[in-house]
Amino acid sequence: MPHSSIIKLILLSILLVVSAVNCLAQSTTGTVSMSATVSKFVEINSGGAVTLTGNSGGGVTTDGVANSPLAVSINLGELGPSNTNSFVTAAVPLKLRSNAAYVLSMTSTVTSSGTTSSRITAADVGFGLGTISRSGLGVNSGADTNATSGDPTLAANGSVNGTTGRYEFTAVRSNLNAFSSATTALSGPIIMNAVPRSNANGLTVPALFAVKPQFFENGTTTISVTFTVTAP
Amino acid sequence: MFESRKAVLSALAITTLLMLSAAVSYAQTTGSVTMTATVSNFVELTSGGAVTLTGNSGGSIITDGTANSPLAVVVNLGELGPSNTNSFVKLSVPVRLRSNVGYQLNMVSSVAGAGATSFSLKDTDVGFGLTPAARPANLAAGTDTNATPGDPTVGGSTDVNGRWVFAGSNSTLGAYAVSGEVLTGPRVNKTVAGNSNTSLTVPAIFAIKPQFFDPAPAITITAQFTVVAL
Repeated sequence: MPHSSIIKLILLSILLVVSAVNCLAQSTTGTVSMSATVSKFVEINSGGAVTLTGNSGGGVTTDGVANSPLAVSINLGELGPSNTNSFVTAAVPLKLRSNAAYVLSMTSTVTSSGTTSSRITAADVGFGLGTISRSGLGVNSGADTNATSGDPTLAANGSVNGTTGRYEFTAVRSNLNAFSSATTALSGPIIMNAVPRSNANGLTVPALFAVKPQFFENGTTTISVTFTVTAP
Repeated sequence: MFESRKAVLSALAITTLLMLSAAVSYAQTTGSVTMTATVSNFVELTSGGAVTLTGNSGGSIITDGTANSPLAVVVNLGELGPSNTNSFVKLSVPVRLRSNVGYQLNMVSSVAGAGATSFSLKDTDVGFGLTPAARPANLAAGTDTNATPGDPTVGGSTDVNGRWVFAGSNSTLGAYAVSGEVLTGPRVNKTVAGNSNTSLTVPAIFAIKPQFFDPAPAITITAQFTVVAL
């Protein structure tokens, strides 16, 4: 091979290498990769002001404020026979929101200074969830399952015991005795559509508590109820 | 006789050779060098620097952008459900462009792993926009045409179902399920050396409004940019 041809071949090779290097340096694409998570979300808040009726000397000590944490405190007043009302009732609005199916459970305690069988017990405190409302922009329609018997003051949910004469809440999960340990009170499918959290709508349901004034043993009674919502 | 003819022929041959050599020597008084070259279209896309992630809950920048290096950013946006109480999860990615010709920047994107119900996060829930500024004096004069409405966190509203909707056309990744133009313009660089750092840097902004999306543990959102010469 002639000498000049060899030199040309070498120069051509260098040119190709330089060109290749230049081509590699020219980036024309780029990527942005993003990962993210949407976790299950369930929330319980106050649905608004408490309604207390049939009370004698009672009052709402700490009222509910819509969309704020539920921390209601109520003095039910007199529950002895001097209170002539049929029932002392407290309706506590709850507001639930979720991006998944939910379960609302409740646990309660009733402590009384009384020592006899005539003291107020958990079975004397009627309980039920009222009408469930899924309404407003962004709230998903769905069928909820109420595990309680509804308004405990309904005639169908209680009566006087024919043997003892004591008024008893007799329907399924119609008194706090059924909630001495965490027990499901309500469950249902996803509550909220894909809307921002600033959307204040949700599922509302009143939690209804009722005590029939009777010849209970005198003393003081403390009733404590805790609601918990979970995403199963 | 034969010997003498041979001598004459030899003499003639030598004379001819000398004359030819002389002629050649006299003609070689100039020379030329001929060069050919090419300037090809050059368009380049690299990272414009570090990304900015705001409004996140539990997110982080996994692979940050490095100025003048290939764009290969990886970001965990974190929680996009309602437990994130920020208005937007926002990611700003600086994109750097250089060219010696008119350019077109395209993007194609995808969203995966978010679920398939009407409440799942979709590509239309990922806001997108570019916010190019006027070119500085050290770049070739020209106006870049932004095909997006700009910062997706500006404007927007809820629809009849209460879901957040980003304002304007081409304002979400839903517009880029197939490759589409996001920015075009005339040549970017003046006639400067290839190692010059002068470039057009444009923030690419991605934004998601946390909402009551369907739970999804592993959502992947990918955006690929490609620049081509016009």
